[in-house]
Amino acid sequence: MTMISRRSALLGAAGLATLGLSACGRGNDTGSQPTGPGSAVSEGKATGEVTVWAMGAEGEKLGDLVEKFTAANPEVKVTVTAVPWDAAHDKFTSAIAAGTTPDAAMVGTTWMGEFVDLDALDPTPADLIDKTVFFPGAWQTTEVKGTSYAVPWYVETRLLFVRTDLASKAGFTEAKDWDQLSALAKAMQQKAGAKWGISLQPGQEGSWQQVMPFAWSNGATITDEAVTAFTFDSPEMSEAWAYYQSFFTDGVADKAPAVQSTADADFANGSVPMFFSGPWMMSAVEKVGGSGFADKYDVWPMPTRKTATSFVGGSNFGVFKAAKNRDAAWKLVQFLVDPATQVEWYGMSSDLPAVTASWQDPKLTADKRVAAFGQQLEAALAPPAISTWDQVSAKFDSLVEKVCKSGLAPAEAVKTLQQEATSIGMGQ
Amino acid sequence: MANTRPRWWLYLVLGIALLLVIAPFLWMVLGSFKTEGELRRVPPTWWPEVATLDNYTRLFAQLDFGHYFANSTVVAGVVTVGNLLFCSMVGYALSLLRFPGQRAIFVAVMVTLMIPGVVTFVPLFMLVVNMGLADSLPGLFLPFLASPFGVFLMRQFFSSLPGDLMEAGRIDGCGELGIFFRIYLPLAGPAMATLGILTFLGSWNNFLWPLVVASSESTYTLPVALALYSTGQNQTEYGLLLAGATVVVLPVLIVFLLFQRRFIEGIATTGIK
Amino acid sequence: MTSTTVTGTRAGPRRAEKPRTGQLRRAEHRAAWVLVIPFCLLFLVFTLWPVLQSMFMSFTDTRARDLRTPFSVNVIGFANYAKALSDPVFLRAAANTAAFVLFGVPLTLAAALASAVALDKGITRLRGLFRLGFYTPVITSIVAVAVVWRFLLQPDSGLVNTVLGAIGLPEPNWLGDPYTALPALVAMAVWRNFGTGMIIFLAGLQSVPAALQEAAAIDGAGAWRRFWAITFPLLRPTLLFVAVTTTIGYLQFFEEPFVMTKGGPLNSTISVSMATYQQFGFGNYGLAGAMSYLIFVVIAIVTALQFRLIRER
Repeated sequence: MTMISRRSALLGAAGLATLGLSACGRGNDTGSQPTGPGSAVSEGKATGEVTVWAMGAEGEKLGDLVEKFTAANPEVKVTVTAVPWDAAHDKFTSAIAAGTTPDAAMVGTTWMGEFVDLDALDPTPADLIDKTVFFPGAWQTTEVKGTSYAVPWYVETRLLFVRTDLASKAGFTEAKDWDQLSALAKAMQQKAGAKWGISLQPGQEGSWQQVMPFAWSNGATITDEAVTAFTFDSPEMSEAWAYYQSFFTDGVADKAPAVQSTADADFANGSVPMFFSGPWMMSAVEKVGGSGFADKYDVWPMPTRKTATSFVGGSNFGVFKAAKNRDAAWKLVQFLVDPATQVEWYGMSSDLPAVTASWQDPKLTADKRVAAFGQQLEAALAPPAISTWDQVSAKFDSLVEKVCKSGLAPAEAVKTLQQEATSIGMGQ
Repeated sequence: MANTRPRWWLYLVLGIALLLVIAPFLWMVLGSFKTEGELRRVPPTWWPEVATLDNYTRLFAQLDFGHYFANSTVVAGVVTVGNLLFCSMVGYALSLLRFPGQRAIFVAVMVTLMIPGVVTFVPLFMLVVNMGLADSLPGLFLPFLASPFGVFLMRQFFSSLPGDLMEAGRIDGCGELGIFFRIYLPLAGPAMATLGILTFLGSWNNFLWPLVVASSESTYTLPVALALYSTGQNQTEYGLLLAGATVVVLPVLIVFLLFQRRFIEGIATTGIK
Repeated sequence: MTSTTVTGTRAGPRRAEKPRTGQLRRAEHRAAWVLVIPFCLLFLVFTLWPVLQSMFMSFTDTRARDLRTPFSVNVIGFANYAKALSDPVFLRAAANTAAFVLFGVPLTLAAALASAVALDKGITRLRGLFRLGFYTPVITSIVAVAVVWRFLLQPDSGLVNTVLGAIGLPEPNWLGDPYTALPALVAMAVWRNFGTGMIIFLAGLQSVPAALQEAAAIDGAGAWRRFWAITFPLLRPTLLFVAVTTTIGYLQFFEEPFVMTKGGPLNSTISVSMATYQQFGFGNYGLAGAMSYLIFVVIAIVTALQFRLIRER
């Protein structure tokens, strides 16, 4: 390439670039307006093809559950694609970006705000689903700015797992309130030979799920009613953080646990006889503990402060805006939240039903511990479904870490969190 | 070597080092035969207390192993063969021929080599979707047929070969392309083996791209299918995970052993003379 | 023929040029185009285009929801880059990454070279076994690696601390203490990656002519001296290749902190790749793109420096 032609080539490229850049700009970016409920779904049976994505074990088993639906609606064909949990979020966001989403999918409760912000989900049709049949906390996870964009499919909540044999050695049969819990944890160390009284996460990813139940039980909130502003900087929040911090400063909880939790193994061998977690841990600790272990532990409700509130998670089921068969997809959703189907799904997968009526079924009342989870679900909350929750919760976790490990004052920490969360904003 | 005494102490040192180095690999294989309960125990155990083939039977029963193995083989195979062909062609052209635009191509290749892959992931995905290649095996292998790393490697190799062979070829009446295919390419065996192993390794273990591009299970590759059965929303099934990991590593080991000899000879001549 | 070196950006053969006739030149060009066109097409479409698109995004305020309408975003110039450079998490990540590379690369090179020399010259049997064995960390699943290393580093019952305690040294909580977490990860990375370097050095060593070594031995040079005077200089190009590729890899280290410590404790192990990945996860594509290109600039500078330092004269 001669000198002259190289120069003109560079100039040409620069010119094109500037032209391209100047053609940019957000026009009248109205953003996402609050929309009403979706348009109604047709009467009659479902027809056509429906593509569904579901993660992990649910994905593997959903195909079997759906057989009843296809039996009742012979002209519909449902294709379930199982997606691994590992990197599932990336798969969804990439598909949304490229417009290759399926008709319906299982959507993690903490993904709702983001997906609605990406304008990916179809609002729940007005008369299709009655929201009162669900646990209130679970229904809340589907609502963004007052409109519901999905339907709770299965739920989970957190209870206190306790080694009852060691607790009685320590002289306790319950942990009714905050003071009792602290006392029990200390006594576990002094009288029952535990290394640490309780397993709590000192910050880092997901610690908000352990801190917020205490905050909620003390009356603190993440945002105001209308979800327009954050409310981290409150005395209730600060008190709750101070209580959480006390476990670490008193030497009752490990300040430096392994990042991959060994809570089940520690629970089984008695070195850390208490932890907060969800129903899946029951089979995990029983597997490690071996035979007969089931009698050595129990699940206790959240200790009461002003209330005894826990965290509600699980998965919702939503229909995408780009769905090719919206009608049949919503009919499938309707089928999935039928109380009898919910009970059957519990039998297949051990996922707890989101519909309260299903809990009357003997399958669920029979197991005392499962019933305890059902009880707690009546008083369980979730964070607001805003698109920036991931970012805000990351800041939350990092400040909790400083509070637990470096002794940062809780009052100061929540103030900083308020400032940082406000500057991140709520997305739209 | 002047010294011919068997250095037993060196063998000892290396032996200890080997055991330390290979421990996780051994643990992975042994762990695939353990029960879930044993795997979750702390501290971790070494030999399985109750050896079980459960993980493997579950894995093969639930997983349509043959199908996913075939997908992975096709994708990794095409990527490897494609790279061997295209990178050697370009490497040769960049090093031994002269033509306009040569420098620009080489600079572009080197620059893209240094850019973190994560940043081009989503634009590439959208491109593939817009081209209609989503959820297809071509969508899994086409974007990777032209690897900048491969070009760099082959260019280095070819520049270490003597240029006089070209003259000889021309005198014999070979066309320019003939010189490449019949004279230089046969000399490239070792470098090709090197590139082959590295490319195969990368493609075989690729997880995120096949996960995102495939929207139906029939297009999944082996790593994706394995993750499906072992990772959960709130916990992992370690037994299945380790069994899967052992299964996935076997072809890699085989390829490594097969090419090992040529591979080692090969690196010696990738322009590092 | 002059010995060619890995000179990176200087393309083209270095052999003496014979005057080329017009016909020869044209034939050469035609052949070159045939050889190069398939690659160039694939490269342009699948490599260059996404790079250009992401570079463009780094100068805009693109968020995830803008991807379907890539031009309806505001061009904000270098604002993303400025934001990245003033983000305390990103800056801490940069410091961590720099420390990781500064300590990790020399240690990895040393381990790779030492093991290659030991296998090539030190022992005569079981070479294949050792070669494969030392290479297994490179191909072992990160899950298995994490479990074993976490066990090794456990504060009370881990192997490392047991040994340290036995000889009276302090027993830190390796992964839980912000001061020791990064060094622990450096050790793990060296362990994991030296195998690749070892294989490459082995090949380089095998290309050192035995005759040269024997001549020196006859002249009375000891093993150590022989190594430094003869072998090492001939290994320089190999050293450059391994140094460059290891550095590029370590500048983007991700898996070790992601799996072992999730960037903690207190951000003492977060790497720039993790920080970038986090931003992609939040949907801040413009900012994440800017971070990626900042990483690229550093990679380019460091690579150029290495070429200058290690290249053969």
